[in-house]
Parts: sequence; structure tokens; C-alpha cells
Amino acid sequence: MSFESKKPLRTWSHLAEMRKKPSEYDIVSRKLHYSTNNPDAPWELSPDSPMNLWYKQYRNASPLKHDNWDAFTDPDQLVYRTYNMMQDGQESYVQGLFDQFNEREHDQMIRDGWQQTLARCYAPLRYLFHCLQMSSAYVQQMAPASTISNCCILQTADSLRWLTHTAYRTHELSLTYGDVGLGQQERALWENEPGWQGLRELMEKQLTAFDWGEAFVSLNLVIKPMIIEGVLKPLQQKAWENNDTLLPLLIDSQLKDAERHNRWAKALVKQALENPDNEAVIKGWIEKWQPLADKAAAAYVTMLSDELNCGLYVERSASLRASMLTV
Amino acid sequence: MAMHPRKDWYELTRSTNWTPSYVTEEQLFPEQMSGHMGITLDKWESYDEPYKTSYPEYVSIQREKDAGAYSVKAALERAQIYENADPGWISTLKAHYGAIAVGEYAAVTGEGRMARFSKAPGNRNMAAFGMMDELRHGQIQLFFPHEYCKKDRQFDWAWRAYQSNEWAAIAAKHFFDDIITGRDAISVAIMLTFSFETGFTNMQFLGLAADAADAGDYTFSSLISSIQTDESRHAQQGGPALQVLIANGKKEEAQKKVDIAIWRAWRLFAVLTGPTMDYYTPLEHRQQSFKEFMYEWIIGQFERALIDLGLDKPWYWDLFLKDIDELHHSYHMGVWYWRTTAWWNPAAGVTPEERDWLEEKYPGWNKRWGRCWDVITENVIEGRMELVSPETLPTICNMSQIPLVGIPGDDWEVKVFSLEHNGRLYHFGSEVDRWIFQQDPVQYQNHLNVVDRFLAGQIQPMTLEGALQYMGFQCVEEMGKDAHDFAWAEKCKPEMKKSA
Repeated sequence: MSFESKKPLRTWSHLAEMRKKPSEYDIVSRKLHYSTNNPDAPWELSPDSPMNLWYKQYRNASPLKHDNWDAFTDPDQLVYRTYNMMQDGQESYVQGLFDQFNEREHDQMIRDGWQQTLARCYAPLRYLFHCLQMSSAYVQQMAPASTISNCCILQTADSLRWLTHTAYRTHELSLTYGDVGLGQQERALWENEPGWQGLRELMEKQLTAFDWGEAFVSLNLVIKPMIIEGVLKPLQQKAWENNDTLLPLLIDSQLKDAERHNRWAKALVKQALENPDNEAVIKGWIEKWQPLADKAAAAYVTMLSDELNCGLYVERSASLRASMLTV
Repeated sequence: MAMHPRKDWYELTRSTNWTPSYVTEEQLFPEQMSGHMGITLDKWESYDEPYKTSYPEYVSIQREKDAGAYSVKAALERAQIYENADPGWISTLKAHYGAIAVGEYAAVTGEGRMARFSKAPGNRNMAAFGMMDELRHGQIQLFFPHEYCKKDRQFDWAWRAYQSNEWAAIAAKHFFDDIITGRDAISVAIMLTFSFETGFTNMQFLGLAADAADAGDYTFSSLISSIQTDESRHAQQGGPALQVLIANGKKEEAQKKVDIAIWRAWRLFAVLTGPTMDYYTPLEHRQQSFKEFMYEWIIGQFERALIDLGLDKPWYWDLFLKDIDELHHSYHMGVWYWRTTAWWNPAAGVTPEERDWLEEKYPGWNKRWGRCWDVITENVIEGRMELVSPETLPTICNMSQIPLVGIPGDDWEVKVFSLEHNGRLYHFGSEVDRWIFQQDPVQYQNHLNVVDRFLAGQIQPMTLEGALQYMGFQCVEEMGKDAHDFAWAEKCKPEMKKSA
């Protein structure tokens, strides 16, 4: 047999050519999607099985193209182990907030009338956060590199984190304010209240955007910046004005996650733009989704308060989005 | 009270179904990805996951679990398992990591399928934790073997196996893609979590952990028992999905998915786990036989779980029980014989003491497989090494992707189960494998097994060397050889003389 004899390598064969010593992140995150190896059959099944057709259409044939998606690196280089350490710390902080604000009877001290706003404009957020969770899980399963998918796994978990905070606070507030529908009316509000309909329309449509590239662009470059600037920050602003000092601190902790999501999304855009054809593709999707997102933010801000300047928040989300597109 | 217990607000975390109106329910949850079988959103809201957890509990507990597993690894770095353990145990580690690590990572996508497409909100949340769990299992089972790369080229296969066309890797991918990545959300709940994770992972992770501890490999033992604590949580997603299906008149469809997944899992375990437990693990470290583990973790487990849910035992149960006595002995002989095509070094495991153990655990072993091993042993002793390596290709099952085997020796029984479908002739290793194909030909029909590819000219040159290259072997050190370099044959000499 003419196979050569070879010495052991110091790391996985696919990392052996790296100039630097591979980090824990490199060892456990890179090149784990075997489904990108055979373009004819992503999964080891009949090439025309339904799931192979789905992946060939929505991932392999996406107009967003790059020769080496596997080169993507999460700027935070998080692995499972470090994510839990980081988020356990964040959750200890948030639980400390909940605990202490409860001891100090925070909810009894908010400005009268704010409880109705919380019931109408805050508690139904769990539906929105759940949509982000579902959507992130979709991008995870369709992304063409494990390093991209991993960012989406953590983004899915972060969305469940926000949902959990919202459920907790909805319950807690309902103990002080039992007559404003907290814990009872969120679904009806999400389905019917005009201020939520833009967001619901946006999310329902986005959840059926199955091309992986379009799902990523609409979620991470359009929707999430809009939620930061057009939902969470105005909510934070109004909370301060109404003696609700807990909610802004909670949102700050969630924004840390959101900033991390923006970092990886920006890094992925930067990589995608190495292929000049992608610029028009990304731009096209942004133009498609931006009007729905702007409409959603305007409706939400209007519901929150007629004193707020909708245009300002729409402008801020546009500028956040623009900052993520700057290479 | 300053903090509210989880039970007071848990319900809100999973009150997240709504009625879509900007798109249809079917657009939001397409049957192909969701597998809802026409059952509407409201009916899926009765789904109640038995094992409940919340985000803050999850990150806290998982942080502690990882701290435990990684600190055991760090503390035992100097134990030099690789240098000191029996080569059979090292082969077990190689087979395990290669077959499991990246497969677990792929399971993130199955969990992601449920997190996005299940109509049951509790399922979607638990699957989000499941995605995290499988990320853990992929990453930790890559991190642990990585340190062995510098000692032994075969450990590269912990990462590389799933990237390759090696036959066992194809068998593993064909199975996992059929129950995880290539299926809709509800099928994943039934086929991965209920059918595979409740029983088979117990056996792999707890059974092997017991052998590992006995063999002194506490790092591996603590790693895989830590993994199993996650499995036992996220495995519970399937039961309530089955309840929803049964309550809505879909018992037959649910039963079929269970039957397919259990059989397919069994066949893969018989070729990978069976030999490691009954042949590779040093005799003195074997806690139980593979068959005993199967009875404890699979037979007992499924009989109870299926009946509790109102399902039936699979129609092939008698064939299954017969297979548990026989199949892995034949598979083992095949893997050992074609060892060049494995990324680990199969241990023959047939010294006189080991044969006595096999005869005790599997009465009749000597007059069946023993007969073949007699010939192999004699050839090794006489130095006729050209006779203990293959020159031909086996016939490979178009379902399991594992060679067809039968019973050798006095009870000779070899049978192929064939099927002509759309003008192509398929061969299966059992009646059940053929039945699985017939349930859903579109899922499988244009897939080629390794020998089909060889005969179709896709593997060039059409020689053993060409085949090994196609399978992804990069050097001789990666190809399997006898784990003990035939030292076992020496121990057989006196017995051979006696019988002569």
C-alpha cells in the first residue's frame, strides 16, 4: 500500500495549518457542520428527500454566497462553558435586583397609571421575545458554518432569557395590581391591540422567510436593531419617568446580550461583503423588511405614549442598523 | 418573600402560542418542518413537559456541571490514561468520540427544529435548552479527546469522522440524519428524544461510565455521566408529544416512528457499542455484558414507557430479542476482519478466558462465532496473515449501512432481504430494515451505500487503497489494526494444542 506514514498532529487536522496555537474556541467550534460537504445531499439520505430539498433550496441556493463561511469567527469567541459562566453572573445580578426591589416594595411606588401601561405595553413582550427565540433557532439550523450557528444558539437562549424575565415580572406585578389584566390579557393584546400589530405582522412574516440569508438579515440587521431602539429604549425612557427604576436596569442587562448579538451580526456582514455581490443582496433584503419594521416601531411607540417622537426612534434604529453595515 | 418560586410564573413562560393572521397557521408551521399531522395549535397547548427548568436555573446548574467535569479532567491530567490503559480501552475511547461528538453537535439542529417548528410552546422552550445541551455535548466531547491528538493520529477522527466517508461514519450519519436533522420537529421529539435518548444514551453514557470507572478512566467516566444528566432532562420532550398525538387519533403514525427509531438505533449500537462492551473493554473491567445492559436499559425501559403511554411494543419485538443474543458478535467479527477501514484498533477479545466469559454470557457462542475465531486464531498462530485480512467487499445494508451478517458455525444462518423499487434492487440486513425502507422510500431511495458507490465507479481507483482514500484515511497510522498486535493469539496456543 502506498499510504505514507505520518506523525501525530498537535491539533485537529483542519486546524494544523493555523499560524497561531488553536484556542479552546477554535478546537470546539470550527467546522462542525458536515452537511455542507456534499452539495447534492446535505444529509446522508436520499438527495431528493424532503429535508435535503429544503436545505438545497434555502441554504445552498441562497443568494447570499461566500466561498468559506467556515472562516467566520464570533468576535466574543464564546463557548458553551464561558457563556454559562457569563450569564450565570448576569442572572445573579438580575435576581438580586428582583429580590431587593421586591423587599423595598418597588411595585407599590410606581406612578399611578404606569401599571396599566406595563400591562398593555410591557407584559405582551413575551410574545415578541418568543418570536426572536423561534427565529434565532431557525437561523441556527440553516446557517452554513458552525461558528455562525453557535452565535444563534446563544441568541436563542438569550431570547428565552428575556422572555423569562418578562414572565417573572408579569407575575410579580400582578400581585400588586390584580385588576389590570396582567398575566391574562397578553395574548389578546398581542393579537388585537393596534400598537402590537406591526410587530406581530413583522414577526409572522419574518418567521416564514426561509432563505437562511434573508432570515439572518431580517432578524439581526433589521428587527433586532429596531427592537433595541424602537421598543426597549423608549420603554426604558417611559419607565424612568414613572418611578419604575427596576425596568430600566433589567433592560440594561438585556441590552448587554443585544450588543453582543450586534457584534457577531456586524462581523458576519463584514465577512459577507468580501464577496461584492452580497452588497446588493443584503441591501435588497433590508429595503424589503425596513418598512415593516419602521411601521412596527412607530405603532409601538405611539401605543406607549403619545408624547414620544416616533420619528426619532425610527431614525435611531436606522442609524444603529447603518453602523452594523459599516465595514 | 422576596423571590417568587418558579411554579408561580412558569406557566407564563410557555403561554406563547398565538393565532397568526398575517400568515396562515400552515405557513408558520409547515407540515414538512413541523410534523403536526394536521393537529391545530390549540390542541398542542396541552403538551406538558415533565422535567421543568428555567433560564436562571439552567445557566447556574450547567455552570456547576461543567466546572465539575473540567476540574476532574485537569486533576487527572497526570494519570496518563493513554499510556497506562489497555489498548482495548483506548479503542473504546476512539470509537466513542468519533461516533458521538460531532453527532451530538448535529443534534443541536434537531433541537433547533423543535424550538422553531413545534406547535407546543413547552416543547419550544425545552428544545431551546436542548440546543444548549447538545452544544455542550459536542464541545466537551471535542475538548476532552483533543489532548490525545499529539499522541495518536486516530484521535483526529473525534473531529473528522463525520466529515468523512468512512463506513461507520456513514452508518452513524445515515441513522442520525434519519431521526434528527432530516426530520420534522415532532418526529425529532419522538425519534430522537423518546426513542433514542431515553434508552440508548443511558446505555452508552451510564453503561460505559461504569466500565470507565472500573478501568480507572475517571475523566471519561465523570464526563459521560455528567452528559447523561442533561440527556435525562431533554429526553423527556418526546413523551408529551406522543400523548398529544395519541389523544388526537394519531397513535398508528406515532407508533411507526417509535418502531423505526428503536430498530435503527439498535443496529448502530450493535456495531459500535456491542463490540466495545463485550470485546474491547478488558475482561476484568466489564461490569455487565452488552446483552445485560440492553435488557436493563432498553428492554425494561421501553416495555414500561411504551405501555405507560398507551403504545404497543414494536411488531418486531421477538426478532429484536433474538438479535440481542447474536447480532453484535457477527458485527464484531466483521469489524475486526475489515479493521483497516476503522479509525480505531479493534481488539479481538478472544483469549481463552474471554471466550469462557462470552460462552457464559451467550450460551452457544463457541459453536457459532467460536468456530470462526478458531480458524482465525490458527491462521494467526501459523503466521498466515494474508488470511486474516479481507480481499473482497461485503454486501452492505441499504438501511443500516452496515455489512450484512448472519450466524456462523453450527447454526449457520445467512439471509439477505431484497426489494426491487423503481427498477433498483436494494439489499437489507433484516426484515425490519426492509420494512423501514418501505414506509418512506422517498427518504432513502436514491442514497448509495459505500459498496454501491464503489460499483458505480465513484471510488477511484477501484482498489482497497482507493476505497481507503475515499473513506478519508490520510496515513497508515490512522487505519485500524489489531489492538494488541495479535498478542492474544499467543495465549490461545495451549488451548489450540489441546484441541489438536
